[in-house]
Amino acid sequence: MSRGGPAATVIRSQRRASVQGLLLVTPALFALGALTLYPTLWVGWLSLQRRIPIFGVERFEGLGNFFFLATDPRFWKAAQVTLVFTAASVALELVGGVLVALALRGQRAGARVGLSFLLLAWALPSVVTAKLFEWLYNPAAGLVNFLLGGIALNWLGDPRLALPGLILADVWRTLPFVTVLCYARLLAIPVELYEAAQMDGAGAVATFTRITLPLLRRILLIAVLFRTLDALRSFDLMFVLTGGGPAGTTETLTVYAYRSLFQAVQLGLGSAVGVVVFALVMLVAWGYLRALRHEGLAA
Amino acid sequence: MTPSPPPRGRGKGEAAVRVVLLLAACLAALIGCSKGSDTKGPLTIVLKHAKILGPVDPIPALLAEFESAHPGIRVKAEVLPWTSDEQRQFLVINLEGGQPGFDLMMLDCIWVPEFARAGWILDLTAGVTQDELAAHFPSAAQAGTYRGRTWALPWFMNVGLLYYRSDLLGRYGFKPPETYVAMLEQIRVIRAGEKSRKLEGYLWQGKQYEGLVVNVLEGLWADGTTLVGEDGRIFPDPERAEQVLRFMRMLIDTGASPGWVTAGDEEVTRRAFGNGEAIFLRSWPYAVDMFEKPGSPVRGKVGLAPLPSHEAGRRAPGSTGGAHLAITRHTRHPAEALELARFLTSAPAQRAMTASGATKPTRMALYHDAELVRASPNLPRIHDLTLAGRSRPVTPYYVMISTTLQPELSAALVKVKTPARSVADARRRLDFFLRDLQE
Repeated sequence: MSRGGPAATVIRSQRRASVQGLLLVTPALFALGALTLYPTLWVGWLSLQRRIPIFGVERFEGLGNFFFLATDPRFWKAAQVTLVFTAASVALELVGGVLVALALRGQRAGARVGLSFLLLAWALPSVVTAKLFEWLYNPAAGLVNFLLGGIALNWLGDPRLALPGLILADVWRTLPFVTVLCYARLLAIPVELYEAAQMDGAGAVATFTRITLPLLRRILLIAVLFRTLDALRSFDLMFVLTGGGPAGTTETLTVYAYRSLFQAVQLGLGSAVGVVVFALVMLVAWGYLRALRHEGLAA
Repeated sequence: MTPSPPPRGRGKGEAAVRVVLLLAACLAALIGCSKGSDTKGPLTIVLKHAKILGPVDPIPALLAEFESAHPGIRVKAEVLPWTSDEQRQFLVINLEGGQPGFDLMMLDCIWVPEFARAGWILDLTAGVTQDELAAHFPSAAQAGTYRGRTWALPWFMNVGLLYYRSDLLGRYGFKPPETYVAMLEQIRVIRAGEKSRKLEGYLWQGKQYEGLVVNVLEGLWADGTTLVGEDGRIFPDPERAEQVLRFMRMLIDTGASPGWVTAGDEEVTRRAFGNGEAIFLRSWPYAVDMFEKPGSPVRGKVGLAPLPSHEAGRRAPGSTGGAHLAITRHTRHPAEALELARFLTSAPAQRAMTASGATKPTRMALYHDAELVRASPNLPRIHDLTLAGRSRPVTPYYVMISTTLQPELSAALVKVKTPARSVADARRRLDFFLRDLQE
C-alpha cells in the first residue's frame, strides 16, 4: 500500500473488486456448467454415435443419425405436430389471455377472486391437468361431449381431434400466465390516457388498437417468447393423455426423443432428436431476443 | 455496485480458522463412515418395486418377517414411479449409469431378456435350480430365461382374458363365444333385444401404447400367426397380419366396438365395463376384483372365458404378463439379495400378496389353495387361462419392437394408413433398427 498514487490504488481496488466478483460468480458458473453445458455437449456427442448400450453397440457414426432423421417420416410428423401445437396454442393463449385480462380490468368486484381461480389452473401440475382432461374428454361420460349436446366425439382416439384436444388443454392451463402478465401491465396504464382518448371521441376499438395494444406490445412479446419456448418442448400433456397417439398424431419431438431414449434405448438417435429440439429452441429464442432488442427491452 | 471488501486482519484469520474446522469435520465424517462399514453391523439390501395395488400393501409385513428371520440383513424397500414407462426410465438410467443404488428390482417380464443382454442383472443359473422354477407357470419361468440361463425369479402373473356379462348371455341362451364370429352374432342379438343404445359390444385396448401391441398380438395368435418369426423377422406372415388389423378396424366400423377404443387403455375400458356399459371386455385378472366389489353395478354378473379365436377349434391364447425379481449385476450382496428374492417369490409370500393385494401368483398350486379360493372363487378359472396363455416374444428387442409398432398399429386402427401400409412401414423401420443387432 506504500507505493503508487491514488490512481494506482483505485485500479488495484477495482481489480480486487473484479476478482472478488469473479470469485463470487464462480460457484454459479460451475453449477451452470455442470448442469447445462456439460449435458448439452454430451448430448451433442451422443448424437454423433450409434449407441445402444443394451446390445453393446457403441460406435461413431458422424451425421448418420441426422441423415436417418431427414428421411424418417415419424420424425417429420413429430416436427409438424410440434410446430402446429406451438403455433396454435401460443396464438390462442395470446388472444385469450389479452381478452381475459381486459375483462378482469373491467371487473369492479371479483377481479381478485377471478385471478386466483385463473392462477389455480396455472399452478396445477400438468400431469394433474392431463388427468383432468382425460375425464373431461371421456367420450361416454365426459363433460365436454355433454356440453356439446351429447354427441359422442372420440376426442383422444380420433386422429383429427386429438391434437386440437391437447391444444385446448394447453390453452386452459397456460392462458392464465399470459393473462397475469397483461393484467399487471394494464393496471399500470395511466387512466388519464383513456380519459384523453374519450375526450377526443375515440371509440372502444380505436382505444384498444391505439392505446391498449401498443402499450401491451412489449409484455406480449415477452409472453410469446416464454410460451413459444415452453410449447416447443411440450411433453407431459401428450405423454399422459394420448401417449403420442392415435397414429402418432400427437407425438411431439420431445415425446419422440423420449421414446427413442428411454423406451428403445437408442441413445444416439434419441440424442439427435434432442439436438434438433435444442437447435429449434435456440433459433426461436435468438429471433425473439433480436426482436426484443429492437424494442429496446433486452440488453 | 462493488461489494464492500471484508474487514481485513481479524476477518481473514477467522475465515481461515473456519475453513480448517470445516475440513477437519469433513475428514472426521469420512473416517467415521469408513469405520462404520468395517464393523460387522447388519448389511442393507435395497429393494426397488412398484406399489402393489389392493386393499392392503402386503410388502411391509413380508419384509419385517424376512428381517426377523435374517437378523444380519436389513431391507430397505423403495417404491418405483407409478407408470410402467417411468419405472423403466428410472431403471435404465440408473443401471446404465453403472452405480445403481439398489440390489434387487422388480422388472416387467418383457424387460428381462433385454436387461440380461445389457449386462445389468446377475445370472442366477448357478443358484436357482430348474426344480425350483417348475412350481411356476412355464410361461413365467420362460420369461425369466434368456439364452438358456436364468436371470429373474417370477413374482406375479397376468393373463389376457375375456370378461362377459353372464346375466346378458344367459338371458339369450348364449354360452361364452369361442370364435369372433359367434361373439359378433351374440352382440347383435343382445343389443337388439336389450334396446339400450348405451350398451356397447366388445371393449379392448386400442390406445397407442403397449396394451395395443398386446391386443394385436392376441389377434395374431387367434389367427394362427405370430409377431416375430423363427428367423427374427417381424410379421413373418404380413398378409395374415393385415387381415388381423382389418378385422380390428371392422369391429369399430360395424359398431361392435365403440370408436373410443382407439383411445382406451385398461382403466378406461375397465370402468366402462364395470359400469355395465358393455357386454364383452378383454382385460387382465385384476379387473375381476373391482367387478365383484360390493356396490359394483356388475357384481355377480361377470364371467371369465378364454379370448375368442378366428377359427372354431383353434385355441386363442391370452398374452401373459407380470413381474419378476432380478438382482443388480454389481451388487455387493448377491447371496443375500437372492435370499430375499427367493423369500418374496416363495409360496407363503405369494399367498400373502394374493390374499391382500390385487396380484395373482406365478405359483400354480396357489390357484387351488382352499383359503385363497374361498376369498376369490375365480382363481381356478384364472389358473386354466394362464396355463393356456402365451408370453410375448421373449427377446431383448421386444421393447424396441413394441415402441416402433405402436404408432403404426394405431395408424391402421384409426385409418390414417391402410393395414398393408402400416405393416410394411413397421417392417421397414424395424429392419433398419435391427440391421446389425440380431445375433
